[in-house]
Amino acid sequence: MNLKQAKIIILVVVLLLTGLAGYMFYEQRNYKETVVVSEGITEVKKLSNYSDSIKGSVNDTNVYIFDSGKEGGTFLICGGTHAEEPACNLAALVFAENLKVTQGRIIVINRINISGSLATRMGEAYPRYYHIETPWGVQKFRFGDRCCSPLDSWPDPEVYIHYDSRQNLANVDIRNTNRSWPGRPNGLIAERTTYAIMELIRQEDVDYVLDFHEAELEYPVENTIVTHERGNEVAAMTSMILSANVFDVPIGMEFSPKELHGLSHREIGDASNAVSYLAEVAEPMLDRIRGITDEELLLSGKDRFVMEAGKAGLLYAPIDEDGWHIDKRVARHVKTALTIIESNNMMNPDQTILVEGMPSYEEMMSNGVGAYLLDPESVDEGRLYYE
Amino acid sequence: MDLLVILNLIVTICYYAIAVFFAYATIRNFIKTKDVQRAITYGIILIPFILRILRLK
Repeated sequence: MNLKQAKIIILVVVLLLTGLAGYMFYEQRNYKETVVVSEGITEVKKLSNYSDSIKGSVNDTNVYIFDSGKEGGTFLICGGTHAEEPACNLAALVFAENLKVTQGRIIVINRINISGSLATRMGEAYPRYYHIETPWGVQKFRFGDRCCSPLDSWPDPEVYIHYDSRQNLANVDIRNTNRSWPGRPNGLIAERTTYAIMELIRQEDVDYVLDFHEAELEYPVENTIVTHERGNEVAAMTSMILSANVFDVPIGMEFSPKELHGLSHREIGDASNAVSYLAEVAEPMLDRIRGITDEELLLSGKDRFVMEAGKAGLLYAPIDEDGWHIDKRVARHVKTALTIIESNNMMNPDQTILVEGMPSYEEMMSNGVGAYLLDPESVDEGRLYYE
Repeated sequence: MDLLVILNLIVTICYYAIAVFFAYATIRNFIKTKDVQRAITYGIILIPFILRILRLK
């Protein structure tokens, strides 16, 4: 074989590899998830209806509004802040596909940070997708990065200075939609996204907000509700009800630090009339000491290395052979949101919200989250949305 | 527009210009080299530059 022939072969192989890699990146960037909204839906808006700051960007997400028409409170549920925390967008999706509100209003955003779900986290060998089994087949979801894709926000500065407080944060957090609250209309995409959601909160006169999250077991803020000081009583009541009567692993309650800026539990409460809560549940896949990082770990939440760390007393949440299955993580988030509503109804009767159609914790644990996801092919196109 | 956004835009344009320059230089070296091992190396180096120029990664 002469040099020319060798170069042609090398070039063909390089182009094949480039095409394969390019196709995989392109596919994740353009894959659309289906959402079959509940029959109780009132209206579906875009986030850009509240602020032009996000218009034309990938983070112009769907806003699902469930309005009973009866006077009461308004509750905003936020999923998908961090795309590598799948229980969060799934919990929001269970609301969007099953909820019926009979008093007050609930607004659901399944994926606050769509951009983060369109690219994988560099250097982590994450799977691009995960699959949930349902009675009608398998539903596929994107599994992305903690932060916005560098294709939408680049470069990162040496130090990210939270513009409002001047607090210094890690450079990558300039793309983190839970370090950029309350946002600004002329910043980078994370700031523009949170600014648009703040505008939604202000324009819809939202009374309280819940932001779903998952955390590694090595992290101290775990299985808890972090609350703005105006939500202390509701969060404490929710924590007591769930820990005493429902959850096998208790859910705690923590105060939002006043000097830690950029996070939803601090800034939403400070910058609006809404009370902000943030719920955390354990996700072993995020632990640095985990083993093989694949879809099995993502769904089962079982990892022998994390278990060993637990035996050595190095974790902030318990873990055993049963792991932290996705069904349990989603069920905890859904139940936490429903209990916050109940507690808030007790504490603030003028903000009463009554709901129907949502599965109980026990039902979700025995049937799995897939049992509460609807078949896109079995409904009218009017109920079908894409994200 | 915020100063940070303007600076980011300028850096991004420079970044893509640099990516195009290095992709061109790598292709040029690939064509000129008489060493198969070097040709393989240039080929591997080329992949991320192409993906970046096409805004796939």
